Amino acid sequence: MIASLELPDYHKQDPQVAQRFKRIRDRPVVLSVQDLQKAFGPEEHQHIVFDNVSLDIHRREFVCIIGPSGCGKSTFIRIVAGLDEATGGKMLLDDKPVSGPGPDRGMVFQGYTLFPWRTVKENVMFGLEMQGKSSADAEGTAREWLDMVGLSRFEESYPHELSGGMKQRVAIARALANEPRILIMDEPFGALDALTRAKMQAYLLQIWKKVDITILFITHDLDEAVYLSDRILVLGVNPGGIREFIENPVPRPRTPEQFLTPEFLALKHRLDELIHTPTEGAEEDRLPVIKMTMVGDEVE
Amino acid sequence: MAHRDWLGLKAELPERLRLILTALSFVVPLAVWCAVSYLPFFWHPLTRISDAGSVEYFVEGMEVPNAEFARQLQTTIAGDGDPPKGERVNPVYLPPPHDVLRAFFTAFTTPPRLPNEPWLHESLGHSIRTIFLGFLISSMIGVPLGILCGTYRLFSRLQEPFIEFFRYLPAPAFGALCVAILGIDDGPKIAIIVIGTFFQQVLVIANTVRKVDPALVEAAQTLGARGLRLVRRVVIPASITDIYTDMRILLGWAWIFLIDAEVVGNVCGVTFFIIQQARYRNFDNVYAAIMMIGIIGLTTDMALAWLGRVLFPWKRKRRAKKQAALAVAAKQEGEESKPMEVAPSPILENFGRLEPPVARDAGANPLQS
Repeated sequence: MIASLELPDYHKQDPQVAQRFKRIRDRPVVLSVQDLQKAFGPEEHQHIVFDNVSLDIHRREFVCIIGPSGCGKSTFIRIVAGLDEATGGKMLLDDKPVSGPGPDRGMVFQGYTLFPWRTVKENVMFGLEMQGKSSADAEGTAREWLDMVGLSRFEESYPHELSGGMKQRVAIARALANEPRILIMDEPFGALDALTRAKMQAYLLQIWKKVDITILFITHDLDEAVYLSDRILVLGVNPGGIREFIENPVPRPRTPEQFLTPEFLALKHRLDELIHTPTEGAEEDRLPVIKMTMVGDEVE
Repeated sequence: MAHRDWLGLKAELPERLRLILTALSFVVPLAVWCAVSYLPFFWHPLTRISDAGSVEYFVEGMEVPNAEFARQLQTTIAGDGDPPKGERVNPVYLPPPHDVLRAFFTAFTTPPRLPNEPWLHESLGHSIRTIFLGFLISSMIGVPLGILCGTYRLFSRLQEPFIEFFRYLPAPAFGALCVAILGIDDGPKIAIIVIGTFFQQVLVIANTVRKVDPALVEAAQTLGARGLRLVRRVVIPASITDIYTDMRILLGWAWIFLIDAEVVGNVCGVTFFIIQQARYRNFDNVYAAIMMIGIIGLTTDMALAWLGRVLFPWKRKRRAKKQAALAVAAKQEGEESKPMEVAPSPILENFGRLEPPVARDAGANPLQS
């Protein structure tokens, strides 16, 4: 249906938007990934998940990563976080090579991963304690961050007493309290219902606007990717690697009304093309017909 | 009342029914015991002679099988003799409930027959001490070792295959060995409890620790936790409640080894009491002592369960509180027609232009649904 609309070229940017991207490119590079490769198995018959992944992410940029399942977007993000090891290439954070997990790269997981034995406040204090801050200091900082995500009233609650959206807000506060250089988010809103998810997206944009943080965000929701991002990294399978790294032409500030603007639809349509392989429809037709019931109407 | 499917898989039972069933679980066995004891037509295989009559070998107070009594009765009636009299009784090893109940008190107040024998409370105290020491010694080594094995593959490979083998060796089999090494007093008894507990303990706790959600460990790593601190601040707290439950179960197992342990060397503790009372044919005391072990075990476990709820507040099921918290959240979010305002703070650095707040889904509240 979308294809039949007259959509503008998704590369076309408003002069204002183009200016914005120029400003972003002038900012220092926070994360630089060069020729990153990930492969599994022995050397003779390796399975290469992705290869030749090179990109620069600038300070305070919001980058979304999308791709079909199996493209290794989670693996990529885990390598950036230091939880997995790459088999080739290198990764620079502020021009310094990094390896292994560390507090300079905060992470928010889909499954919240709050520590159930700690109260909300103590969860946010965890990273600060690990950095050797005194508990009075850590408590003060934790309070500020909880205030920012609007959960001050729940600082003494335990995670199991919170709703999913609230848990994820605590997880964001916990990651940000460490003042990481980059915030990595692995489908953070994937487990939330649609309404909460919409709300959380707005929250996240608010937070991002007020905090000096660069965000790397995995999602499989195309609307979410277009709504949130500055640039969208599309990964592919066979061969695994970067398909395209798109500058999002939708102007900021973002509002939900933009979901139906031509730029938005054009970009979403392009993303849809990129991540859906053409064979998929054919596969559907190849499903065996097991049981047919004659009804008045044909099912399409 | 609406129809309820009480046999529904994993279905919750109404509170009242739960209480009734709990009571029944004790009442039914007790009722069976009462029936067997007090209703003469249930079992009662013996007849206690109250009047020997003209039967030569009957003595007053003697207990004979019912069939024998009936035969003698017929013989005497046919032979014009004096018929014997008697009442049907259960064997001495099945005392009625009221005798056992009385024994709960009299067992404590009856002085031992020999001057150097312990009173019942002393015997029980001795047993509790044996269990406690054995369990303590086992736990002091077993718990850290279990955590180590559960956390690091290296230790797991180094320890667990041998322990897996050793745990099949029955602890009482080490009795003679323990006596040879540790003498005949408390040493070998504690040693058997340790042998019976330790190997299971390491394996069970290692398994529990292995089940810690790896995502929690990863989250902690991205927050800067490493090495031993990761173990101390994440792995242990993440598994501590399950370890605590394991310990409760293991303590129950330690009681199982108690009787085996106490017959090794000098028989002592509650086992001594039971054997001694059985020898005197005070079976009511025997039952009372056995039940006391059960009562002590159950009470300890209930106390530990209560203590667990105090120690681990995050495990408490406070559904009411959660509902209240969510209601507050819903109200709070409902009141704020504008989205969250970010408080000004020195840690927040304004960067680039600021956009006006985005109003979105002001009326809709996802938490209410």
